[in-house]
Amino acid sequence: MTERFLIDEQQLIEYIVGQRWFGTKTREVSRANVLDVARLRSTPPELFLLLVEIRFPEGTHDLYQVPVGVDEDGEWYDALGDPSLTRELVHLIRSGATEQARDGMLDFRSVPGFAALGRELQQARTISTEQSNTSIVFDDEMILKAYRRLEAGVNPELEMLRFLTEHGFRNIAALGGWYAYSGRPLDATLGIVQQYLAGALDGWELALDELASAPERFLGRLRRLGEVTGTMHSVLGSDSSDPAFCPEETSSESLGLLTATVDEEIERVFLELGGEEALAPIAGRGEEVREQLRNLSHFGTVGRVIRHHGDFHLGQTLWWSDDWAIIDFEGEPARSLTERRRKRSPMRDVAGMLRSFAYAASAVEILRGTPAPPGWEERARAEFMEGYLATVDQSLLPPGRSAIDRLVCIFELEKSVYELRYELNNRPDWVGIPVAGILRMLDATAPA
Amino acid sequence: MSEPGHWFESDPLWFKRAIFYEIHIRGFFDGNDDGAGDLRGLVDKLDYLQWLGIDCIWLLPMYVSPLRDGGYDIADFFAIHSDYGTVEDFRTLVEQAHQRGVRVIADLVVNHTSSDHPWFQEARQNRDSPKRDWYVWSDTDERYQGARIIFVDTEPSNWTWDPIAGQYYWHRFFSHQPDLNYDNPEVQEAMLGVLRFWLDLGIDGFRLDAVPYLFEREGTNCENLDETHAYLRRLRSEIDARYPDRVLLAEANQWPEDVVEYFGDDGDECQMCFHFPVMPRMFMSLRREDATPMYEILERTPSIPDNCQWGLFLRNHDELTLEMVTDEERDYMYAEYAKDPRMKLNLGIRRRLAPLLDAGQDEMQLMHAILFSLPGSPVLYYGDEIGMGDNVYLGDRDGVRTPMQWTSDRNGGFSRADFAQLYLPPLMDPVYGYQAVNVEAQLRTPNSLLRWLHRFIALRKEHPVFGLGSYEPLRPDNSRIFAHVRRYEEDIVLCVHNLARSAQATQLDLSEFEGLIPEEMLGRTSFPPIGKLPYLLTFSPRGFFWFRLRRP
Repeated sequence: MTERFLIDEQQLIEYIVGQRWFGTKTREVSRANVLDVARLRSTPPELFLLLVEIRFPEGTHDLYQVPVGVDEDGEWYDALGDPSLTRELVHLIRSGATEQARDGMLDFRSVPGFAALGRELQQARTISTEQSNTSIVFDDEMILKAYRRLEAGVNPELEMLRFLTEHGFRNIAALGGWYAYSGRPLDATLGIVQQYLAGALDGWELALDELASAPERFLGRLRRLGEVTGTMHSVLGSDSSDPAFCPEETSSESLGLLTATVDEEIERVFLELGGEEALAPIAGRGEEVREQLRNLSHFGTVGRVIRHHGDFHLGQTLWWSDDWAIIDFEGEPARSLTERRRKRSPMRDVAGMLRSFAYAASAVEILRGTPAPPGWEERARAEFMEGYLATVDQSLLPPGRSAIDRLVCIFELEKSVYELRYELNNRPDWVGIPVAGILRMLDATAPA
Repeated sequence: MSEPGHWFESDPLWFKRAIFYEIHIRGFFDGNDDGAGDLRGLVDKLDYLQWLGIDCIWLLPMYVSPLRDGGYDIADFFAIHSDYGTVEDFRTLVEQAHQRGVRVIADLVVNHTSSDHPWFQEARQNRDSPKRDWYVWSDTDERYQGARIIFVDTEPSNWTWDPIAGQYYWHRFFSHQPDLNYDNPEVQEAMLGVLRFWLDLGIDGFRLDAVPYLFEREGTNCENLDETHAYLRRLRSEIDARYPDRVLLAEANQWPEDVVEYFGDDGDECQMCFHFPVMPRMFMSLRREDATPMYEILERTPSIPDNCQWGLFLRNHDELTLEMVTDEERDYMYAEYAKDPRMKLNLGIRRRLAPLLDAGQDEMQLMHAILFSLPGSPVLYYGDEIGMGDNVYLGDRDGVRTPMQWTSDRNGGFSRADFAQLYLPPLMDPVYGYQAVNVEAQLRTPNSLLRWLHRFIALRKEHPVFGLGSYEPLRPDNSRIFAHVRRYEEDIVLCVHNLARSAQATQLDLSEFEGLIPEEMLGRTSFPPIGKLPYLLTFSPRGFFWFRLRRP
């Protein structure tokens, strides 16, 4: 089904710029072009899927997926807010349809045996917690996640879920299907369908609740989280027949590339630092931080590199049916798709999670009014690491505990610097957390 | 499987915004410990290239060859030289590069083959051989006297007597490189087949070597003939029809007014051509501390179709060619840049960037800034990003093709083979040797050339204006300053460079931009707004500024 779809450009720009998932809010938009359109339902409300190019004054552009509904009066609106239209998308996935767009093709695919797809769907509710995509939950059984900003290539989340499912890693929400576009502008994954883990507790919320009420119990859970993470990495590094996942030895300069990248991040962030009170402990100490990074980077090898979660923290975990489930395998949304698909040391995920414990320990006071028990963060780190080291395939690690600690430390520094920038832009009240993280790195002597 | 199969947004003009990186496979990284670089070794270094930020790798010839001319003497167009690997390795390289957002183009010599090529071996056997007419034969060496000899240092004539064939054969380059006969439709078809073979493997384009010489006609200089252009149009239409987003880059070492012919009247031949004459003038301007030679050559450069682009470079795998300068200019260049006669080769200087600039980091940064500011796509030469040196004691152009210096370890981290096995010795002198100049050390040194260039590449890529925008020279009174404006859509960029060894000041007439604020692009510092009066700028020695002119 193809159809010319006319839409006012100014209206489209205003709509897209106003959306939570629009990634570059600070930038002026010069144009919006509909590059391709597919009509997926022809009775009102009609369903159109638009591929929209947003152009910026410098001549660069981003691409977005914009599904719209059109009612009887010809008014258009966000299709992902309309249950009848999102059900239509799921129906297309269930039936494995291939739809012709004006120029390209839309392919809808389901995973055989995914039970929830077989049932009639009743309720649908839209949740939009993530910045870069829109999710719809159906009947507390299934979740459809539509990626808004599109980049050429397979979305890492689809790759990761499929790989983990095929290799028997159970601590995820099962993949049910996906849909993708291929055409002249690009080939891209548009969205996935996954099992919805009804009744699951968000790992971050659970951390805050239990930090306030039962901090010891949560430490036990973190040990288990370490084990699950170690198993996940072992699985991700287990198949050398698949080039996209085959673990690789690192080249002689990979440590240099890593530290150079982190060093530039530090330099840039410190250049932009203002005079906020919360920044006082690290103000003017950028060179010290860089020096510390150089001290940390004096070891031989980073071990092997594998595909990994890429944006690993408590908010990407669920406690469900007495165990942890890991979700959101897209990687950090601010990074490019090629960057997010890169193999890196699994220590990067470990560092992300350790930073998350620092956040939890501070946030419980900010959000729940209860300070974390003294020494909790250190114990949380130790529990997680013990669980992790007990299950992870040792061949993926740098040789020796000291090299492991140094590498984790470098990744934690990278993460803290990223957090610092994020908090300065979004949550100035939280700036103290990354500042404390950086300070801790500064005041610690490098692990021997 | 219904999932995305390729890793780029479609963009028929990608090459206009791209930064290219030229690689001599033999010299890049040894992946199988035999002393010579190979495709597997290159795959190992893709993470480095991705980090550096380059968009496209350009590979020197990788085909089966007796290597009497660095692989430009091809003996089998459909196979990879065994030193480098296999066609399968090449497929892996392309796939792995694409997954990292890096494209790959390769050299292809269409004008001639090696004399070892089975086509030539068959052709020379007897006059009735079906391949005889694939080459250009003559009973005398008197024909086409209007054609110049290119390798004046080694070749006395464009004709060489072949005792087996009992005739002379035609060659514009070395005598072991007989020219193919493009008047024969079979040759035209065969070469199309070669292109298709590599395009089907996923290659993103070709740098076509020595394109001006495909046809010969009596009474002409046998260069840039209409027939040659017609054949290039045929190659291009074939590619456009079946292989989107691929590029043809012509090597035509000619004056810009002749080179533009290779873009075609409507941009229907090669999308890119190298701009050869701009390069010696950059070096001349730097040494003379005078921007005039650069302004002049750019003024003399005709405009080109919108879908085309110049390829610009500071140095490449060949000598710094001085064919496109006057005799007087050549003498000046030799006097300034080739004080040792060993540094001269043919009509050029066989040295790398860093030694030409006496290893001055300010000079290397300035030259890269100018290169990146010009209308065209920059082509970097492997090793120049760390300021590698050369070895003038090695023959021909080997001096600028020594092993890439990765670390300060044995063999510069290039190979785990015995030193004696290496295809060429790595540099070991105290200034440019691998102990002093290597990737590992420069990655660790925040102020190194490598780290600077990495940031600079990222900056250029944020602004399509450098690839797509207009070029508007400003020519301030102070001739030591090279200043121009680039404009694309709503992006306006002012680039000003001080060619002098001393601090300078200049005033620029920027009244057209009154009210805009120059924001220095590397440090994001705002300068005073532009008013009605001339805009005063001061420079450190060899200093430069790039400004984005933004609205208040």
